[in-house]
Amino acid sequence: MKKILGTIALAVIAATGPAAAQTYPDQAVTLVVPYGPGGASDLAGRALAETAQPFLGQPVTVMNKPGAGGMNGARSVSEADPDGYTLLLARVGMALSPAVTPDNAVAWDAYSFLGALEATPMILAVRADAPYDSVEDLVTAVAESEGRMTYAASGATAIDGFTTQALLADNDLDPLTAATLVPYKGGGALATALLGGHVDFVAMAAGSLMPHIESGDLKALMVFAPKRMDTLPDVATAAELGYEKAGQIAGWSALYGPKDLPEEVTAKWQDVLAEVATDEKWLELAANRGSISTIGDVDMSDYAQSQYELFHGLAKDFGYLPN
Amino acid sequence: MLQEILSALVAVATLQNLLIMVAGIWGGVIVGAIPGMTGTMAVTLALPFTFYMDPVPSILLLVALYKGSTYGGSVSAILIKTPGTASAACTALDGYPLAQQGKAGKALNMALYSSVTGDFISNLSLIFFAAPLAVLALRIGPPEFFMLMLFALTTVAGVSGSSLLMGLVSAALGLLLATVGEDMYGSFRFAFTPDMQAGLSIAPVLIGLFALPELIKLVVMRATKQEEAATLGAQHVTRAEFMGSLKTILKGSVIGSVLGAIPGIGPSSAAFFSYGEAQRSSKKGANFGKGELEGIAASESANNGACGATMIPLLALGVPGDVITGVMLGAFMIQGLTPGPLLFQTNIHEVYMLLIGMLVSSVLLFFAGKITMRMFAKVSHIPQTLLTPLVLLLCVFGIYSIASSPFDVAVLLVMGVVGFIMFLLNIPAAPFLIAFILGPMLEENLRRALAISRGEPAVLLSSPITWVFAALIAFVLFITVRREVQKFKTERRVEQ
Repeated sequence: MKKILGTIALAVIAATGPAAAQTYPDQAVTLVVPYGPGGASDLAGRALAETAQPFLGQPVTVMNKPGAGGMNGARSVSEADPDGYTLLLARVGMALSPAVTPDNAVAWDAYSFLGALEATPMILAVRADAPYDSVEDLVTAVAESEGRMTYAASGATAIDGFTTQALLADNDLDPLTAATLVPYKGGGALATALLGGHVDFVAMAAGSLMPHIESGDLKALMVFAPKRMDTLPDVATAAELGYEKAGQIAGWSALYGPKDLPEEVTAKWQDVLAEVATDEKWLELAANRGSISTIGDVDMSDYAQSQYELFHGLAKDFGYLPN
Repeated sequence: MLQEILSALVAVATLQNLLIMVAGIWGGVIVGAIPGMTGTMAVTLALPFTFYMDPVPSILLLVALYKGSTYGGSVSAILIKTPGTASAACTALDGYPLAQQGKAGKALNMALYSSVTGDFISNLSLIFFAAPLAVLALRIGPPEFFMLMLFALTTVAGVSGSSLLMGLVSAALGLLLATVGEDMYGSFRFAFTPDMQAGLSIAPVLIGLFALPELIKLVVMRATKQEEAATLGAQHVTRAEFMGSLKTILKGSVIGSVLGAIPGIGPSSAAFFSYGEAQRSSKKGANFGKGELEGIAASESANNGACGATMIPLLALGVPGDVITGVMLGAFMIQGLTPGPLLFQTNIHEVYMLLIGMLVSSVLLFFAGKITMRMFAKVSHIPQTLLTPLVLLLCVFGIYSIASSPFDVAVLLVMGVVGFIMFLLNIPAAPFLIAFILGPMLEENLRRALAISRGEPAVLLSSPITWVFAALIAFVLFITVRREVQKFKTERRVEQ
């Protein structure tokens, strides 16, 4: 029996060996998710790993490397061998962090851009029993409170902090002092802080808020996305309401690799992403987590640059960086 | 309603579901028992498999892994003084001394009975009190959270061993180490290398502090006394022993169920809370830390009690309390089920199936624990000189496997040396760990509370919940100081 197994194993190795030596990939690809398990980025990474595998011909293993606002994982990929076996599930933070904290972050262009993956809308929400029915109501209350009103965010320079600060700046309020930021970790904790009435409003990723908006515990005032959400057809986007800065902010995911990836690797992933773009499972999983697949819709290196420039400008506006 | 429960029962009682739960529980126990491998890892690794499973079995698999690993942590805590998970740290305090006294079997059995009882009560509270507990949990804002954590920190007084001063020194070091890395406002503290910006993970600190000093002792001190191999034998927990600890088990289960329902607290803090409480109220309080079955009962009933209860905010509010329930939330979303207030209206059939499955998995935990115990008890027969290097190897690989981070391994080794130095100076390790785990929650909630009140400290005593915890803290401080004064007086008398 052992002999037979051995022969089969040898035959398999002989059959696949030479072929595998010529083409990428001949082993599993590691996809680094720079945030903790269970969050929106983790889910996006795992969905990509699962759907890409059959088209890639090798398994994709997800590895969470959280910390330092995503920069931990981003750094490990940007410094990895450009052999195509270590890739990054990039998020808006990969453009935001270097724009705001250039000294501590990986440069926005320290990667090869393999392609965009999805857009993740964000929502400005208050409790259902709050006396504000529109963005103007809320902004007026914030202006009158002289900084007493609070909002929850992952941090001042995180994307869910920038949403609120951009809105305040658009209304000629001081983005840093007009409302008080209360930092929490993770979408779940942010949503709970608002649900429990510990803060007055949030402007964060839709995924964690939608269940409470649907149940009637929270009210959506505005959406940060290029277009209205299918699930909230009556809620206007920031751009529609004429907010210039807030109107440009949206969440997204993309697939990055270390700089100077071989031609063979980028070509392979072009093909794989094109297959994933129309894969039913991928689209279903994206819809389930409240995001819109954008594979093939935008040129990622142009988009990453425009995002970096947007946030760099905002960081100067808000006073995080000298002008 | 009865009809719905019956139809859910029929739907859940399939061989496939049963096998999935057995695999989950047993896999969880083994992962939990291996130092360095955590429940979070098990649940995360299992997540992609659930993409292709039906909703209920996939959640049951993840819940089973979570429960199993929380119990499994106690096995290695007792046998080799290396808590498999942080929530079993207090279990090691009494479990390992018992194992050294040749009573490993008793300790393991007590841990299992307490875990299963805690788990079962926790499931019942999920079924009957999910709504009120979820409402209570929402009312726990930053000030309440801070006071609760401060009270949990008073457990330090109980696990300080012979010297309260040394315990406080240890806790202060733990709090200091907890500040390493990026703080909540984005500034860096003690971040000398990019790796340190992310802070120190719990697993390498926990294992470095508890397991490695034992190895260093063996090498440096050339332990002359060959420790008796602990035999499992016919060491059952007697009826009298179980009844003696029953009050503690029930109290631990309730503490676990209530604290577990508050997002962000988790099994570790619940176990510390329960251990401290049991030590203060037990007649055998003085024997805690020297091999007291009741200590194991307190710690294990509370950590498993918290497991099922973390499902309360998840199901009722859609709010994950920790990383593991965060992964579960992801699993729900992938299945197109959205946890939260609407789940009980739109998917009541699935909810009942889940609840029934969780009750069944409590029973499975009992059998999985019994079998695993027998497997791991053989560990006691391995000579110390062979076992300790093996444990080291396992620890290093386990820690490395969590995030493939050489930095984590460095933290593990450095903490081992720190732990050994602390042992030489007679500084207890448990207060260090408790402070290290509670530290970030204390700091973050204090700063949140002060941000909301715009720097007004009175916010910390602004609600009835905070008054209750303030009173409890004052009470514990009072009895601790009184005990110390009495000890001081007796010592003086002896000297004279």
